[in-house]
Amino acid sequence: MNTALAILWKDLVTEWRSRDRVIAMLLFSLLVVMVFHFALPTGTQDGIAENAAGLLWVAYVFASIIGLNRSFSLELENDALSGLALAPGERGWIFVGKALANFILIGIVDTVTAFVFAVAFDINLLDVALSLAGVVALGNLGICTAGTLFSAMSVRTRLREVLLPILLLPALFPVLAGAVAGTRDLIVEGAVSFEAIQLLLVIDGIYLVVSFLGFEYILDE
Amino acid sequence: MTEAPTPSGSNANRTTETMSLPSALEQGAARLRGWLGIPIVVLLVVYAYIVVQAPIDNVQGVIQKILYVHPPLAYGTYLGFIVTAVGGALYLWTEREDFDRMAIAGCEVGVIFCTLMLITGPIWAKGTWGKWWSWDPRLTVTVLLWFIYLAYMLLRSFSEGGTRAARFAAIYGIVGLVLIPLNYYIIEIFNNRSIHPDNLSSGSLGDGMGLPFLMGNLALFFVFAYLVLLRWEVESLRTRAALEEAEQFSAQYSGSGGTP
Repeated sequence: MNTALAILWKDLVTEWRSRDRVIAMLLFSLLVVMVFHFALPTGTQDGIAENAAGLLWVAYVFASIIGLNRSFSLELENDALSGLALAPGERGWIFVGKALANFILIGIVDTVTAFVFAVAFDINLLDVALSLAGVVALGNLGICTAGTLFSAMSVRTRLREVLLPILLLPALFPVLAGAVAGTRDLIVEGAVSFEAIQLLLVIDGIYLVVSFLGFEYILDE
Repeated sequence: MTEAPTPSGSNANRTTETMSLPSALEQGAARLRGWLGIPIVVLLVVYAYIVVQAPIDNVQGVIQKILYVHPPLAYGTYLGFIVTAVGGALYLWTEREDFDRMAIAGCEVGVIFCTLMLITGPIWAKGTWGKWWSWDPRLTVTVLLWFIYLAYMLLRSFSEGGTRAARFAAIYGIVGLVLIPLNYYIIEIFNNRSIHPDNLSSGSLGDGMGLPFLMGNLALFFVFAYLVLLRWEVESLRTRAALEEAEQFSAQYSGSGGTP
C-alpha cells in the first residue's frame, strides 16, 4: 500500500515539475473537439445532444492513450523500469500507484475537456455535473486499469507506442458501452440507468483484479 | 590441444533440453492427433451427406443450411480462446513452455474459426436480414473478440525474448477471455437492440434439422481438436529445430577451435 502511495507521489511530482503529459493530453483532446466541429455537417449542432456522449468519449479515449503511453515510456529512461521491478514488496501495488496517477491526470484532462465541449457545442452539463463526474470516473477507472497494464507491455515491444491502442481499444469496448450509455442517459434524460453503472462496476472490478495480479508477470525482469 | 571440458558440458546440457522436446504432454497430444485422423474423415463425409439430405427451410430457403456450419464455428472460436487463456494461465502458474505452445495453437485455430464465422454469418444475414452486417451487440462483440486475438498475435510477434512474449501474451489472453461472458451479458443489457437469433433452445429446430445440427457440432469439434493438436505439434517441433540449430552452430564454432 505504501508502495502504491510512493509511486503515485513520484508520478504526480514528476508531472508537476514538467507538466508535459497533462498539457499534451489536454491540447490533443481539445484538438479532437475541434475536429468534431469540422466532421459534423454545419447546421446540425442543434441535434448534437443525442451524439454528444459518444463524441466526448472518443476525445477521452484518444487523449488517454497518449497519457498512458507516456506513463511507462517515462520509466524506460535510465532503465527506471528495472528499478521498479527490483523494488521489494508486491508488484501489484506498483500497478495501483501508476494506475492512480494516470487516473488523476486523465481525470483533470476529462474535466477540462467536458467543460470546453459543453461550451463549444452548447450542451448543458452543469445540471448533471455530479452524476456525470461519477460516470466519467467509472469509465476512466476502466481505461486506466486496462490501459496501465497494457502500457507496461507495449512500451517493451518493438512496436512501442503503436501497439497500445491496438491492444487497448478492443478491450475497452465494454467500458465504452457502459460509459457512453450512462453519459447519454444523463445528457438526454437527466438520470443515469442502473444497467450502465452495473456494467461499468463489473468490468472495472474485473480489470482491477486481473491487472493487479497480472502485473507481477509483466514487470518480471 | 584437447577439447575444453566446459563447452562440451554446456553442450550436453543443451542436448538434454533438446531431447526433452516435445514434452511428454506434447507426445501424448501428437499420439491423440494420430488417432483422430480416420474418424474425422468418416465424420466429415457423413456430415456432408446429412446436410445435403436435410430438409430445405420453408421461409429462409437453402441459405438456412448455414446453420449447420455457423454455430459450430462459433463454439470452436470460443473453445480456441478458452484453450489460449487456460494455456496462458497454466504457463504462468507452472512456467512450463509446452503450455505456452498450446496457447499459441488455441489462438491461431480460434482466429481461423472466428474468421470463418464472420464470413458465414454475413452470407446468411444478407439472405435473411437483407443486409450483410448489422451492429448488433453480439456481432460487435464477436468482431472485437477477433481483433483481440489478432492483437494477441501481434503482441507475440513484436515482443522480444521468448519468455517475455509468453508472459505478455498469457496475460492478454486471459483478459481477452473476460470478453466472452461479457458478450452475453451485454446482450442482456441491450436486449431490445439485438436481432441475432437466440441461443438454440430445445425444440426451436424444425423437423429433420436436429441431426445435421448435431453432426455439424460433432464434426467441426473434432476438426477443431485436430487442428489445435497439429498446430501445437508444429510449434513444438519448430522450437526443437531452433534449439538444434543453435546447438549445431555452437558445436561448429567450438569445433573449429578459433575464437575471436
